[in-house]
Amino acid sequence: MRANFIFSEVWIGLRRNLTMTVAVIVTVAIGMALLGVGLMINSQISTMKDFWSDKVEVSVFLCKKNDPFPACKGSGGVNAQEQAALSQQIKAMPQVESVSFEDSAHAYEVFKTTNSGNTVLLSAIRAEDMPESFRVKLKDPDTYTAVIEQLKGAPGVSNVVNQKEILEKFFALLESLRWAALVVAIILVFAATLLIGNTVRLSAYNRRRETGIMRLVGASNIYIQLPFVMEGVIAGLIGGVMSGVLLMVSKVFLFDKVQVYLANTVLTWETVTKVILITLIFGVVICILASFVTLRRYLRV
Amino acid sequence: MIHFDNVTKVYANQNRPALDHVSVDVDKGEFVFLVGPSGSGKSTFLRLVLKEERPDSGVIQVAGKDLSRLSNFKVPHLRRRIGCVFQDFRLLPNKNVYENVAFALEVIGKPRRFIRKVVPEVVELVGLEGKAHRMPDELSGGEQQRVAMARAFVNRPMILLADEPTGNIDPATSIGIMKVLDRINRTGTTVVMATHDAAIVDSMRKRVVELEDGKIVRDQSRGVYGQAY
Repeated sequence: MRANFIFSEVWIGLRRNLTMTVAVIVTVAIGMALLGVGLMINSQISTMKDFWSDKVEVSVFLCKKNDPFPACKGSGGVNAQEQAALSQQIKAMPQVESVSFEDSAHAYEVFKTTNSGNTVLLSAIRAEDMPESFRVKLKDPDTYTAVIEQLKGAPGVSNVVNQKEILEKFFALLESLRWAALVVAIILVFAATLLIGNTVRLSAYNRRRETGIMRLVGASNIYIQLPFVMEGVIAGLIGGVMSGVLLMVSKVFLFDKVQVYLANTVLTWETVTKVILITLIFGVVICILASFVTLRRYLRV
Repeated sequence: MIHFDNVTKVYANQNRPALDHVSVDVDKGEFVFLVGPSGSGKSTFLRLVLKEERPDSGVIQVAGKDLSRLSNFKVPHLRRRIGCVFQDFRLLPNKNVYENVAFALEVIGKPRRFIRKVVPEVVELVGLEGKAHRMPDELSGGEQQRVAMARAFVNRPMILLADEPTGNIDPATSIGIMKVLDRINRTGTTVVMATHDAAIVDSMRKRVVELEDGKIVRDQSRGVYGQAY
């Protein structure tokens, strides 16, 4: 096998139908980038789920004086007796792992750190405005419904909030984003396959003289087909590298920006590299397959 | 070397067979003319030897191998032992004489040192010494056909198939082409030449196999083209 012979043939082939080659590269790049974004969102969802799964709590907010919540109407705020009873009731539940009490001052501290940028909001809210709450940690975060059922409407409780429910809405949003990216990626991969097929067909037609002679003098099939397949592979590789760049850009300018709001769930470069590798290999494999399938139809050997 | 036993070939969408129960033997080192009018099955015969087509019935053996048992994977190796020359030369217009001949060796993976040694020898054998760096469009028809013969012969095939090699060439130049074919034949290569050219067949006095409507109507050693023409 003479490498320089193959490569000169490949180069001639790529140059002869440059426009098609560019089309292939762009389609592969965008398709693979979207596939990569899908994979990155996917890994993001799982790291976030891991991160949150042992942190989600059920917050049982207690009534304050003149609390606007309907459950607190006319109660004039929770009293010490009710609070102690609640604490007893929560601790007695079989699903509960631990429970802690968060007073107004502590709630205000947390509020201050999470909204440190928003001075207007901070100046408008005082420590006394923050509701007191029991923070209930469950043994299994999925068993929250029974806990909420029992605590909602108990005397002195203004509202029961399950963080998991909020997170799940957010995860659902991420998951639909992921599916959208994957569906568009599949469509583009399909388009890329057709484009590669077309490029190879054109290429085979352009070089029919050479391939005819190659067949005649007994060149082996692989020798005849390899230049065409390599054309596909090189276009796929360039497209893959471009998609890698797009993925790195999306990590820095998209994922890292969003992460600011989702503490501790950083998309690592390690994951990005893995995703880029996967998309690169996938792109090249698609190109090889598409080339081979078309060659079988348009290049008689 | 070439053995046809009761071979029939019918092309799709055609009711008349291109070859009709043809049996013929060509021995090693023979020179055979395949004559007959257009459509008599000469080209089909050559295509069957190359396994470009498959017979509908009958047995074909080339160089002792049964072609029906030859896997597609091995067909290229069969073709390496068979050289081909055509009426339309089939040279690569963007390669010069040397490159055209070398191409046949490059694509079967021969080392460059071997190519550099062998190609000039063959270019000389066909009578093109000193023209190795000409492009095909700078050569006459006869010279282009010599390039094609050099390319067909450079890998020292056992069989050379020539499909009307003088069809596009004037009679005077044809003599030179036939001399080259004769020279190739003398190296021990079996030559099968399909032709319409009565003068050439008559002058060479070689074996003549005449086909008509896919049937062999005459097989004569040291024959002539035939009185009918």
